[in-house]
Amino acid sequence: MAGSLEKISETISTGSQSSLIVTGINSTYDVYVVQFYVRPVDNDKDLLVRVTTSGTPDTDSEYDMATKFLRADTSFGNTPVTNGVNWFFNSAMANDSDKFVNATLYLFNFNNSSEFSFVTVETAGFNDTIPGLVGEQGGGVHTVAEANDGFSLQWESNSNFASGSKVVLYGLKK
Amino acid sequence: MATKEELQAIADQEIEDAKPLNKSVNGVVSEFSDDDYAQAKIDLGNSKWNAQQFGYIEARQNAYPPITDQLDEIYHNGIDAWKVIIKKVKDDNPKPS
Repeated sequence: MAGSLEKISETISTGSQSSLIVTGINSTYDVYVVQFYVRPVDNDKDLLVRVTTSGTPDTDSEYDMATKFLRADTSFGNTPVTNGVNWFFNSAMANDSDKFVNATLYLFNFNNSSEFSFVTVETAGFNDTIPGLVGEQGGGVHTVAEANDGFSLQWESNSNFASGSKVVLYGLKK
Repeated sequence: MATKEELQAIADQEIEDAKPLNKSVNGVVSEFSDDDYAQAKIDLGNSKWNAQQFGYIEARQNAYPPITDQLDEIYHNGIDAWKVIIKKVKDDNPKPS
């Protein structure tokens, strides 16, 4: 996907935030990109991901996802979800200071009020319970025909994001 | 085994005890709104329920040996020896009754 990234917004945790949100998606770009680099302050936490409408996370049960769960220690698994209350693109993440979750997601149709919002995802992180390197690769869709303006991250059990955790929203310029 | 309502009550109290919770939107930090707190309680209640009811699935997946090792076990020691390994994983991570 040729083009350049135009930074739109970012949010960085100081260690006392349990929700990180970036907004600013509108009609300027056709495709947006979110990159995040995060870890929880507590061990063994799932990362919960939602789209936002007017800056507020959509808390419906319309999140579908289909990803391959990649593991360095053994064969890969599948993560199929329909009508979930969020996407979870990384599970049981470790809180060690040198083990952040790193991800790039492409966002499609977010600003289109008559189409569903789609994402493609690729991540790499360190799972606390295996323990070992894991990744997720695949896609998700929020099956509501509405305009979404951003992206929300939170940890399971409202664990705080460790200091330095960062989420950045870019527009993909043609 | 706790009911969903019991777990939700525990989650509600934990969120109350954890206040104040903060969010950062485009770099601007603020405390959760009432709606954010309400959703946080629901999310935590769901998390506790899922862990109780379905946590054994992920635990078993993490504990099973790689497929190649399982095939090797069957080839060298037979199905019964393989069953012992699988049964231990299931017994160590029981399905909720």
